[in-house]
Amino acid sequence: MTMLNPDPDAALVERVKQGDVRAFEMLVVKYQRRIERLIGRMVRDVDLVADIAQETFIRAYRALPQFRAESAFYTWLYRIAVNTAKKALVDLKRDPVTTLTALQGAEDDDETYRAGLEPTDGETPEALLASKEIAATVNAAIAALSEDLRQAITLREIEGLSYEEISDVMNCPIGTVRSRIFRAREAIAERLRPLLDTREGNRW
Amino acid sequence: MSQPDSDRSPSESSRRILSALADGDATDGEAARAFQAWRDDADARATWHTYQLIGDVLRSDDLACRPKANEAFLVALRARLADEPVVLAPQPRAVDPDVAAPAAANAGATVRARGRWQGPMAMAAGFLAVITGLNIVRPFSHGTDGALASNAPASSPLMASATAVNNGGVVAAAQQTPAQTKAAADQLAPYLAAHRQSAMNAPFQMPDSDLRNVSLVQPAQ
Repeated sequence: MTMLNPDPDAALVERVKQGDVRAFEMLVVKYQRRIERLIGRMVRDVDLVADIAQETFIRAYRALPQFRAESAFYTWLYRIAVNTAKKALVDLKRDPVTTLTALQGAEDDDETYRAGLEPTDGETPEALLASKEIAATVNAAIAALSEDLRQAITLREIEGLSYEEISDVMNCPIGTVRSRIFRAREAIAERLRPLLDTREGNRW
Repeated sequence: MSQPDSDRSPSESSRRILSALADGDATDGEAARAFQAWRDDADARATWHTYQLIGDVLRSDDLACRPKANEAFLVALRARLADEPVVLAPQPRAVDPDVAAPAAANAGATVRARGRWQGPMAMAAGFLAVITGLNIVRPFSHGTDGALASNAPASSPLMASATAVNNGGVVAAAQQTPAQTKAAADQLAPYLAAHRQSAMNAPFQMPDSDLRNVSLVQPAQ
Protein backbone atom coordinates (compact mmCIF):
# COMPACT_ATOMS: atom_id res chain seq x y z
CA MET A 1 0.00 0.00 0.00
CA THR A 2 1.43 3.33 -0.90
CA MET A 3 0.70 6.75 0.47
CA LEU A 4 -0.46 7.98 -2.93
CA ASN A 5 -3.96 7.58 -1.56
CA PRO A 6 -5.04 8.70 1.90
CA ASP A 7 -4.75 5.96 4.50
CA PRO A 8 -8.18 4.28 4.68
CA ASP A 9 -7.53 3.61 8.37
CA ALA A 10 -6.93 7.23 9.27
CA ALA A 11 -10.31 7.71 10.96
CA LEU A 12 -9.93 4.54 13.01
CA VAL A 13 -6.38 5.39 14.04
CA GLU A 14 -7.39 8.89 15.11
CA ARG A 15 -10.25 7.47 17.11
CA VAL A 16 -7.91 5.11 18.97
CA LYS A 17 -5.54 7.99 19.63
CA GLN A 18 -8.42 9.81 21.26
CA GLY A 19 -8.65 6.95 23.74
CA ASP A 20 -11.28 4.68 22.16
CA VAL A 21 -9.84 1.22 22.66
CA ARG A 22 -12.89 -0.35 21.01
CA ALA A 23 -11.97 1.34 17.74
CA PHE A 24 -8.66 -0.53 17.96
CA GLU A 25 -10.66 -3.77 17.93
CA MET A 26 -11.98 -2.81 14.51
CA LEU A 27 -8.39 -2.55 13.26
CA VAL A 28 -7.61 -5.93 14.83
CA VAL A 29 -10.55 -7.57 13.06
CA LYS A 30 -9.43 -5.97 9.83
CA TYR A 31 -5.79 -7.02 9.95
CA GLN A 32 -5.59 -10.13 12.11
CA ARG A 33 -5.67 -12.60 9.22
CA ARG A 34 -3.04 -10.75 7.19
CA ILE A 35 -0.76 -10.33 10.19
CA GLU A 36 -1.09 -13.99 11.13
CA ARG A 37 -0.29 -15.06 7.60
CA LEU A 38 2.77 -12.80 7.57
CA ILE A 39 4.00 -14.20 10.88
CA GLY A 40 3.20 -17.73 9.75
CA ARG A 41 5.69 -17.31 6.92
CA MET A 42 8.42 -16.51 9.43
CA VAL A 43 7.47 -18.85 12.28
CA ARG A 44 6.50 -22.40 11.56
CA ASP A 45 4.91 -23.18 14.88
CA VAL A 46 1.20 -22.44 14.54
CA ASP A 47 0.83 -22.00 18.28
CA LEU A 48 3.44 -19.30 18.28
CA VAL A 49 1.83 -17.48 15.37
CA ALA A 50 -1.25 -16.47 17.35
CA ASP A 51 0.88 -15.46 20.35
CA ILE A 52 3.15 -13.31 18.21
CA ALA A 53 0.15 -11.77 16.47
CA GLN A 54 -1.32 -10.88 19.86
CA GLU A 55 1.97 -9.37 20.93
CA THR A 56 2.12 -7.44 17.67
CA PHE A 57 -1.24 -5.81 18.26
CA ILE A 58 -0.44 -5.03 21.89
CA ARG A 59 2.82 -3.35 20.86
CA ALA A 60 1.07 -1.47 18.10
CA TYR A 61 -1.53 -0.26 20.57
CA ARG A 62 1.15 0.95 22.96
CA ALA A 63 3.09 2.70 20.20
CA LEU A 64 0.07 4.19 18.45
CA PRO A 65 0.48 7.65 20.04
CA GLN A 66 3.80 7.87 18.20
CA PHE A 67 2.27 6.88 14.86
CA ARG A 68 2.31 10.01 12.70
CA ALA A 69 0.74 8.63 9.52
CA GLU A 70 3.92 9.09 7.50
CA SER A 71 3.24 5.61 6.21
CA ALA A 72 -0.02 3.69 5.96
CA PHE A 73 -1.15 2.16 9.23
CA TYR A 74 -0.86 -1.32 7.78
CA THR A 75 2.74 -0.73 6.67
CA TRP A 76 3.58 0.39 10.18
CA LEU A 77 1.76 -2.59 11.71
CA TYR A 78 3.53 -4.90 9.28
CA ARG A 79 6.94 -3.68 10.51
CA ILE A 80 5.95 -4.25 14.11
CA ALA A 81 4.82 -7.78 13.24
CA VAL A 82 8.12 -8.56 11.50
CA ASN A 83 10.16 -7.20 14.42
CA THR A 84 8.06 -9.04 16.97
CA ALA A 85 8.41 -12.31 15.05
CA LYS A 86 12.19 -11.82 14.74
CA LYS A 87 12.49 -11.17 18.45
CA ALA A 88 10.42 -14.28 19.21
CA LEU A 89 12.72 -16.37 17.02
CA VAL A 90 15.82 -14.98 18.72
CA ASP A 91 14.32 -15.65 22.15
CA LEU A 92 13.43 -19.14 21.06
CA LYS A 93 17.03 -19.84 20.05
CA ARG A 94 18.36 -18.39 23.28
CA ASP A 95 15.86 -20.16 25.47
CA PRO A 96 14.21 -23.00 23.54
CA VAL A 97 10.67 -23.51 24.73
CA THR A 98 8.76 -26.65 23.99
CA THR A 99 5.61 -25.35 22.43
CA LEU A 100 2.26 -27.04 22.43
CA THR A 101 2.73 -28.23 18.89
CA ALA A 102 6.13 -29.67 19.62
CA LEU A 103 4.79 -31.38 22.72
CA GLN A 104 2.00 -32.87 20.71
CA GLY A 105 4.41 -34.37 18.21
CA ALA A 106 6.59 -35.80 20.96
CA GLU A 107 3.75 -37.45 22.81
CA ASP A 108 1.90 -39.04 19.93
CA ASP A 109 2.34 -42.40 21.59
CA ASP A 110 0.87 -41.24 24.85
CA GLU A 111 -2.67 -42.57 24.98
CA THR A 112 -3.60 -40.30 27.84
CA TYR A 113 -6.00 -37.62 26.66
CA ARG A 114 -4.76 -34.11 27.39
CA ALA A 115 -7.18 -31.39 26.46
CA GLY A 116 -4.41 -28.79 26.37
CA LEU A 117 -2.76 -30.60 23.50
CA GLU A 118 -5.64 -30.39 21.09
CA PRO A 119 -4.66 -28.92 17.77
CA THR A 120 -5.62 -25.29 17.37
CA ASP A 121 -8.68 -24.43 15.36
CA GLY A 122 -6.68 -23.17 12.41
CA GLU A 123 -5.24 -26.59 11.65
CA THR A 124 -8.09 -29.01 12.26
CA PRO A 125 -9.48 -30.74 9.18
CA GLU A 126 -12.88 -29.20 9.89
CA ALA A 127 -11.39 -25.72 10.03
CA LEU A 128 -9.47 -26.24 6.81
CA LEU A 129 -12.61 -27.50 5.10
CA ALA A 130 -14.60 -24.54 6.39
CA SER A 131 -11.95 -22.14 5.13
CA LYS A 132 -12.04 -23.69 1.68
CA GLU A 133 -15.80 -23.49 1.67
CA ILE A 134 -15.69 -19.81 2.59
CA ALA A 135 -13.21 -19.07 -0.18
CA ALA A 136 -15.28 -20.98 -2.73
CA THR A 137 -18.44 -19.16 -1.66
CA VAL A 138 -16.85 -15.73 -1.96
CA ASN A 139 -15.46 -16.55 -5.40
CA ALA A 140 -18.81 -17.92 -6.57
CA ALA A 141 -20.58 -14.82 -5.26
CA ILE A 142 -18.15 -12.56 -7.09
CA ALA A 143 -18.72 -14.45 -10.31
CA ALA A 144 -22.48 -14.00 -9.91
CA LEU A 145 -22.26 -10.20 -9.52
CA SER A 146 -23.22 -7.82 -12.28
CA GLU A 147 -20.30 -6.40 -14.22
CA ASP A 148 -20.57 -2.98 -12.54
CA LEU A 149 -20.59 -4.37 -9.02
CA ARG A 150 -17.80 -6.86 -9.73
CA GLN A 151 -15.61 -4.21 -11.28
CA ALA A 152 -16.18 -1.78 -8.40
CA ILE A 153 -15.39 -4.27 -5.62
CA THR A 154 -12.41 -5.67 -7.52
CA LEU A 155 -10.89 -2.24 -8.13
CA ARG A 156 -11.31 -1.42 -4.47
CA GLU A 157 -10.31 -4.65 -2.71
CA ILE A 158 -7.80 -6.16 -5.12
CA GLU A 159 -6.34 -3.11 -6.87
CA GLY A 160 -6.61 -0.88 -3.81
CA LEU A 161 -7.95 2.12 -5.72
CA SER A 162 -9.66 4.95 -3.87
CA TYR A 163 -13.29 5.83 -4.54
CA GLU A 164 -12.14 8.84 -6.53
CA GLU A 165 -9.89 6.72 -8.73
CA ILE A 166 -12.63 4.14 -9.23
CA SER A 167 -15.05 6.87 -10.23
CA ASP A 168 -12.54 7.98 -12.88
CA VAL A 169 -12.02 4.45 -14.14
CA MET A 170 -15.73 3.62 -14.20
CA ASN A 171 -16.75 7.09 -15.32
CA CYS A 172 -19.40 7.51 -12.65
CA PRO A 173 -19.92 9.69 -9.56
CA ILE A 174 -18.21 8.79 -6.30
CA GLY A 175 -21.60 8.24 -4.67
CA THR A 176 -22.33 5.56 -7.26
CA VAL A 177 -18.98 3.90 -6.54
CA ARG A 178 -19.75 3.87 -2.86
CA SER A 179 -23.18 2.36 -3.49
CA ARG A 180 -21.88 -0.28 -5.90
CA ILE A 181 -19.18 -1.42 -3.50
CA PHE A 182 -21.70 -1.65 -0.68
CA ARG A 183 -24.14 -3.65 -2.82
CA ALA A 184 -21.37 -5.97 -3.94
CA ARG A 185 -20.33 -6.59 -0.33
CA GLU A 186 -23.92 -7.20 0.68
CA ALA A 187 -24.48 -9.67 -2.15
CA ILE A 188 -21.37 -11.64 -1.18
CA ALA A 189 -22.16 -11.42 2.54
CA GLU A 190 -25.67 -12.75 1.91
CA ARG A 191 -24.20 -15.96 0.53
CA LEU A 192 -21.53 -16.10 3.19
CA ARG A 193 -23.64 -15.58 6.31
CA PRO A 194 -24.98 -19.16 6.55
CA LEU A 195 -21.36 -20.35 6.71
CA LEU A 196 -20.28 -17.76 9.24
CA ASP A 197 -23.16 -18.26 11.67
CA THR A 198 -22.76 -14.68 12.72
CA ARG A 199 -26.48 -14.35 13.37
CA GLU A 200 -26.36 -16.79 16.26
CA GLY A 201 -26.04 -14.80 19.41
CA ASN A 202 -23.69 -11.97 20.08
CA ARG A 203 -20.64 -13.64 18.68
CA TRP A 204 -18.61 -10.45 18.42
CA MET B 1 -29.38 7.87 -7.69
CA SER B 2 -28.52 6.52 -4.28
CA GLN B 3 -31.07 6.87 -1.53
CA PRO B 4 -30.09 8.97 1.50
CA ASP B 5 -29.04 6.88 4.49
CA SER B 6 -31.69 8.49 6.68
CA ASP B 7 -34.43 6.93 4.51
CA ARG B 8 -33.15 3.41 4.97
CA SER B 9 -33.61 0.93 7.78
CA PRO B 10 -31.17 1.56 10.62
CA SER B 11 -29.49 -1.73 9.94
CA GLU B 12 -28.89 -1.06 6.26
CA SER B 13 -27.82 2.49 6.97
CA SER B 14 -25.34 1.21 9.52
CA ARG B 15 -23.97 -1.35 7.09
CA ARG B 16 -23.54 1.28 4.38
CA ILE B 17 -21.54 3.40 6.76
CA LEU B 18 -19.40 0.44 7.80
CA SER B 19 -18.72 -0.28 4.15
CA ALA B 20 -17.61 3.31 3.58
CA LEU B 21 -15.51 3.31 6.76
CA ALA B 22 -13.78 0.12 5.63
CA ASP B 23 -12.60 2.05 2.58
CA GLY B 24 -11.74 5.23 4.48
CA ASP B 25 -14.58 7.12 2.84
CA ALA B 26 -16.85 7.78 5.82
CA THR B 27 -17.47 11.36 6.92
CA ASP B 28 -16.66 12.32 10.52
CA GLY B 29 -20.31 11.99 11.51
CA GLU B 30 -20.64 8.61 9.81
CA ALA B 31 -17.45 7.38 11.42
CA ALA B 32 -18.76 8.40 14.84
CA ARG B 33 -21.95 6.42 14.17
CA ALA B 34 -19.91 3.42 13.05
CA PHE B 35 -17.82 3.49 16.24
CA GLN B 36 -20.99 3.65 18.28
CA ALA B 37 -22.47 0.76 16.30
CA TRP B 38 -19.35 -1.30 16.93
CA ARG B 39 -19.81 -0.75 20.64
CA ASP B 40 -23.54 -1.37 20.83
CA ASP B 41 -24.63 -3.57 17.95
CA ALA B 42 -23.58 -7.19 17.56
CA ASP B 43 -24.88 -7.18 13.99
CA ALA B 44 -22.64 -4.25 13.16
CA ARG B 45 -19.63 -6.10 14.59
CA ALA B 46 -20.50 -9.20 12.57
CA THR B 47 -20.96 -7.08 9.44
CA TRP B 48 -17.59 -5.39 9.90
CA HIS B 49 -15.94 -8.80 10.24
CA THR B 50 -17.76 -10.15 7.20
CA TYR B 51 -16.79 -7.20 5.00
CA GLN B 52 -13.15 -7.49 6.07
CA LEU B 53 -13.17 -11.24 5.50
CA ILE B 54 -14.61 -10.73 2.00
CA GLY B 55 -11.83 -8.29 1.18
CA ASP B 56 -9.18 -10.67 2.47
CA VAL B 57 -10.56 -13.65 0.55
CA LEU B 58 -10.76 -11.58 -2.63
CA ARG B 59 -7.05 -10.85 -2.24
CA SER B 60 -6.11 -14.42 -1.34
CA ASP B 61 -7.94 -17.66 -0.63
CA ASP B 62 -5.31 -18.31 2.07
CA LEU B 63 -6.94 -15.68 4.24
CA ALA B 64 -10.27 -17.47 4.48
CA CYS B 65 -11.00 -18.67 7.97
CA ARG B 66 -13.93 -19.28 10.26
CA PRO B 67 -15.08 -16.36 12.39
CA LYS B 68 -14.67 -18.58 15.44
CA ALA B 69 -10.89 -18.27 15.20
CA ASN B 70 -11.09 -14.51 14.73
CA GLU B 71 -13.49 -14.19 17.60
CA ALA B 72 -11.27 -16.20 19.96
CA PHE B 73 -8.31 -14.04 18.97
CA LEU B 74 -10.22 -10.84 19.67
CA VAL B 75 -11.56 -12.07 23.01
CA ALA B 76 -8.03 -12.91 24.15
CA LEU B 77 -6.70 -9.59 22.92
CA ARG B 78 -9.53 -7.71 24.63
CA ALA B 79 -8.47 -9.22 27.95
CA ARG B 80 -4.91 -8.03 27.39
CA LEU B 81 -6.00 -4.59 26.19
CA ALA B 82 -8.05 -4.23 29.36
CA ASP B 83 -4.78 -4.29 31.31
CA GLU B 84 -3.21 -1.65 29.11
CA PRO B 85 -3.39 2.03 29.98
CA VAL B 86 -5.40 4.11 27.57
CA VAL B 87 -3.01 5.17 24.83
CA LEU B 88 -3.35 8.84 25.68
CA ALA B 89 -2.62 8.37 29.38
CA PRO B 90 0.20 10.80 30.24
CA GLN B 91 2.54 8.16 31.54
CA PRO B 92 6.14 7.82 30.40
CA ARG B 93 6.62 4.54 28.65
CA ALA B 94 9.85 2.64 28.19
CA VAL B 95 10.91 2.40 24.56
CA ASP B 96 10.26 -1.04 23.20
CA PRO B 97 13.15 -2.00 20.91
CA ASP B 98 10.84 -4.03 18.70
CA VAL B 99 8.64 -1.12 17.92
CA ALA B 100 11.56 1.27 17.81
CA ALA B 101 12.22 0.66 14.15
CA PRO B 102 8.65 1.26 13.05
CA ALA B 103 8.50 4.17 15.40
CA ALA B 104 11.65 5.50 13.79
CA ALA B 105 9.65 6.00 10.64
CA ASN B 106 7.64 8.39 12.73
CA ALA B 107 10.54 9.67 14.72
CA GLY B 108 10.22 13.16 13.40
CA ALA B 109 6.85 13.15 15.03
CA THR B 110 8.14 13.36 18.54
CA VAL B 111 10.54 16.07 17.52
CA ARG B 112 7.74 17.98 15.87
CA ALA B 113 5.49 17.48 18.89
CA ARG B 114 8.29 18.92 21.01
CA GLY B 115 8.62 21.62 18.38
CA ARG B 116 5.14 22.83 19.17
CA TRP B 117 6.47 23.92 22.56
CA GLN B 118 9.80 25.08 21.29
CA GLY B 119 8.34 28.05 19.43
CA PRO B 120 6.69 29.77 22.38
CA MET B 121 9.53 28.78 24.71
CA ALA B 122 12.12 30.16 22.31
CA MET B 123 10.16 33.38 22.02
CA ALA B 124 9.97 33.75 25.80
CA ALA B 125 13.67 32.98 26.11
CA GLY B 126 14.35 35.53 23.37
CA PHE B 127 12.56 38.27 25.25
CA LEU B 128 14.44 37.36 28.41
CA ALA B 129 17.70 37.52 26.50
CA VAL B 130 16.77 40.91 25.06
CA ILE B 131 16.01 42.33 28.50
CA THR B 132 19.24 40.86 29.89
CA GLY B 133 21.11 42.18 26.90
CA LEU B 134 19.75 45.68 27.39
CA ASN B 135 20.84 45.62 31.00
CA ILE B 136 24.34 44.59 29.93
CA VAL B 137 24.54 47.18 27.19
CA ARG B 138 23.07 50.07 29.23
CA PRO B 139 26.09 50.86 31.48
CA PHE B 140 28.29 51.26 28.43
CA SER B 141 25.86 53.28 26.42
CA HIS B 142 24.76 55.89 28.90
CA GLY B 143 23.55 58.88 26.98
CA THR B 144 24.11 57.37 23.59
CA ASP B 145 22.21 54.12 23.88
CA GLY B 146 21.11 53.77 20.33
CA ALA B 147 24.26 55.00 18.68
CA LEU B 148 26.62 52.84 20.67
CA ALA B 149 24.51 49.77 20.36
CA SER B 150 23.95 50.17 16.66
CA ASN B 151 27.64 50.76 16.01
CA ALA B 152 28.80 47.84 18.11
CA PRO B 153 29.38 44.65 16.20
CA ALA B 154 26.68 42.15 16.93
CA SER B 155 29.15 39.48 17.87
CA SER B 156 26.67 37.43 19.84
CA PRO B 157 23.01 36.63 19.45
CA LEU B 158 22.44 38.57 22.62
CA MET B 159 23.94 41.68 21.12
CA ALA B 160 22.18 41.08 17.86
CA SER B 161 18.86 41.07 19.68
CA ALA B 162 19.73 44.20 21.59
CA THR B 163 20.73 45.90 18.35
CA ALA B 164 17.48 44.98 16.74
CA VAL B 165 15.46 46.34 19.63
CA ASN B 166 17.43 49.57 19.73
CA ASN B 167 16.77 50.07 16.07
CA GLY B 168 13.08 50.05 16.74
CA GLY B 169 11.87 46.49 16.37
CA VAL B 170 12.28 42.89 17.29
CA VAL B 171 13.13 41.93 13.73
CA ALA B 172 16.85 41.72 13.09
CA ALA B 173 18.22 45.04 11.90
CA ALA B 174 19.83 43.54 8.86
CA GLN B 175 16.48 42.29 7.64
CA GLN B 176 14.79 45.70 7.87
CA THR B 177 14.53 48.03 4.96
CA PRO B 178 14.95 51.78 5.63
CA ALA B 179 11.24 52.24 5.00
CA GLN B 180 10.40 49.61 7.61
CA THR B 181 12.77 51.19 10.10
CA LYS B 182 11.22 54.62 9.58
CA ALA B 183 7.73 53.21 9.94
CA ALA B 184 8.73 51.51 13.18
CA ALA B 185 10.31 54.69 14.46
CA ASP B 186 7.17 56.65 13.61
CA GLN B 187 5.12 54.13 15.56
CA LEU B 188 7.42 54.30 18.55
CA ALA B 189 7.70 58.10 18.68
CA PRO B 190 4.42 58.76 20.50
CA TYR B 191 5.10 55.82 22.80
CA LEU B 192 8.49 57.17 23.81
CA ALA B 193 7.14 60.68 24.16
CA ALA B 194 4.47 59.40 26.51
CA HIS B 195 7.13 57.67 28.56
CA ARG B 196 9.18 60.82 28.84
CA GLN B 197 6.12 62.75 29.88
CA SER B 198 5.23 60.11 32.41
CA ALA B 199 8.75 60.13 33.86
CA MET B 200 8.71 63.92 34.23
CA ASN B 201 5.33 63.86 35.97
CA ALA B 202 6.25 61.00 38.27
CA PRO B 203 5.10 61.64 41.85
CA PHE B 204 8.37 60.35 43.25
CA GLN B 205 11.89 60.65 41.95
CA MET B 206 13.82 57.56 40.96
CA PRO B 207 17.58 57.47 41.49
CA ASP B 208 19.51 58.74 38.49
CA SER B 209 21.19 55.46 37.92
CA ASP B 210 17.87 53.69 37.41
CA LEU B 211 15.92 56.13 35.28
CA ARG B 212 17.24 57.60 32.09
CA ASN B 213 15.77 59.33 29.11
CA VAL B 214 15.48 57.19 26.05
CA SER B 215 16.16 58.52 22.61
CA LEU B 216 15.65 56.82 19.30
CA VAL B 217 18.43 57.14 16.79
CA GLN B 218 17.45 56.54 13.22
CA PRO B 219 19.97 54.72 11.10
CA ALA B 220 21.47 56.49 8.13
CA GLN B 221 19.09 56.29 5.15
